[in-house]
Amino acid sequence: MAEETFRTETKGMERYPGLTAFLEGWGIFRQSLLGKIGLVLLIMFALMALCSYIPPLIDPMYNPMTGVDPVITCSTGPSRAHWLGTDFMGRDILSQLLAGARVAFMVGVSAAFMSIVLGTAIGMTAGYMGRFMDTFLMRLADMIMVMPTLLVVLILAAVFGQLNIWTIVLIIALFRWPGVSRIIRGQTLSLKQRPFIEAAKVAGASHVRIIFRHIMPNVLPLAFLFMTFRVTSAIIIEAALAFLGFGDPGTVSWGMMLQWVWKTGHMFKAPYWLLPPGICISLITLSFYMLGRAMDEVLDPRLRKEDQTD
Amino acid sequence: MMENQGNAIIEIQNVSKVYRSRGALFGVRAKDVVALRQVSLKIYKGEIFGLVGESGSGKTTVGRLIVGLEEITSGEIFLDQENVTGLKGKALKAFRRKVQMIFQDPYQSLNPQRSVLDTVSEPLSIHRVGRSADRKEMAHKVLKSVGLSPPEAFFYRYPHRLSGGQRQRVAIARAMVLNPEFVIADEPTSMLDASISAQIFNILLKMRSTFHVTQMFITHSLAAARYLCDRIAVIYRGQVMEVGSGETIIRNPRHPYTQALIDALPKFKGSGEIKQYGTLLIEEREVNGEPMGCPFYPRCTVAEIRCEREIPGLRMLEEGHYVACFNV
Repeated sequence: MAEETFRTETKGMERYPGLTAFLEGWGIFRQSLLGKIGLVLLIMFALMALCSYIPPLIDPMYNPMTGVDPVITCSTGPSRAHWLGTDFMGRDILSQLLAGARVAFMVGVSAAFMSIVLGTAIGMTAGYMGRFMDTFLMRLADMIMVMPTLLVVLILAAVFGQLNIWTIVLIIALFRWPGVSRIIRGQTLSLKQRPFIEAAKVAGASHVRIIFRHIMPNVLPLAFLFMTFRVTSAIIIEAALAFLGFGDPGTVSWGMMLQWVWKTGHMFKAPYWLLPPGICISLITLSFYMLGRAMDEVLDPRLRKEDQTD
Repeated sequence: MMENQGNAIIEIQNVSKVYRSRGALFGVRAKDVVALRQVSLKIYKGEIFGLVGESGSGKTTVGRLIVGLEEITSGEIFLDQENVTGLKGKALKAFRRKVQMIFQDPYQSLNPQRSVLDTVSEPLSIHRVGRSADRKEMAHKVLKSVGLSPPEAFFYRYPHRLSGGQRQRVAIARAMVLNPEFVIADEPTSMLDASISAQIFNILLKMRSTFHVTQMFITHSLAAARYLCDRIAVIYRGQVMEVGSGETIIRNPRHPYTQALIDALPKFKGSGEIKQYGTLLIEEREVNGEPMGCPFYPRCTVAEIRCEREIPGLRMLEEGHYVACFNV
């Protein structure tokens, strides 16, 4: 039934292979409840991130970092002026929460993207070149993989003092590529043996051509799948770091908010302050995870209708 | 037929291929595997040459060595009297323009992420033939010649939207688009239905008649080789057992192994083919120590004592008919 509909959808669109592939993937994706929930949540967070620009425009006191309500000097509960209340020095929690969504996306997506690019490049190199390069890169990956990322970042933060948010992103990316590169290497190894690579060789294709035209298009979907999982871990690491007091003091992230709650002793006194960032962290990681699982289904070759004939 | 009249387009001389086992860290090193032993063949311009053998006989290895997918251990390969053994770089690329291969499994030999047009025109862009519009034109032509018409309807299709027969046609189109001199077809129909196979055979025949492409057809089926090939070589465990015209190999096989293959062909009552050679031993004969004689010795009913010790060379029985057996 569902297949019927997507058949008709794709009819006449064969000229646009990207679109066809997308529609085909969407046909599978939308059958997954997990994926739909994840997508809805994600859209919600994206809207939050977009809305984060609005409050400071209404009134400078809604600036998440520097805006202080002139009449409030301690944490207060929800009111008409501050829908989610204020923090210990009278800053608006809702605008902080919205800004936090923006930071979470920024940190998560950029760290994940960097680690994916790095992991894919290294994994493909190792898998395709083999021999010494493979051994060298994979042992390097092993070494980095066994290092606890959070601990290393904590040590670096202790050594270099406060870390800039982009430094944190970079460190997360540098420590999270090995998992990706292992997967990509495995995929490359299996692709390398496939007859279509040999066919390309017989046609006279160079190594560069084989890597970029034949192997990369086949590993990229997998890399993007992993990106969603990497986003999750990057957000968690950043939150943990901020909560422990090693975050970027110039950025309002959810982890930072939690840290302020903790440091000012409002942990059990101000649920309106503690719960929103906590719930947001859980939900955004959950939504990326669910999205990843659903995409897993889309990309799983066993679920793809490979042997369809017209 | 075609034999001895034209020049050899491909000649392989004393080619051997040994797969060396990697040294094991613990335990005994495994034995090296000899895939081909001193194989010599000549393929003449314009013919379809059949290479028949069972699985593991090394028939595919011959094809892979010729196109350079594997490194040769010893021996030499000539294309148009030019030595093409172990080519590298530019020379290899130039060679690949002339020699192409059709692979066994059309479900594996097409990149699932590339459309038919991408796949078929790729060799053209690799060898910088024409501009993009010309390439499209050429792809159009070649797709039409392999019976995928209208070609426009297939240009933007992806392999998973094609049937096995259509995929193999695309693979043939890819091999043919550069207008090569020599094409190796490695069991192109083993993954396809019988009726589709017949269509593929006819395409191969058409390629010869319209584009004058010399072909080597690798198969395990004598029946297919007989239908398609001018000359047939029978290979067993990496050694050529018998070479002759298709007619000779089928009607007058002299090597006990070829005879056993003929015996194994299904025959219909009343087709007149009732002769059984009975050269295949039901139970394999034990060989003492290192096997050093004729590879067929353990299964041969007419073997002599010397067959266990010596390898028979190819001898000419009559014009163009060679057999590697002491007994004939």
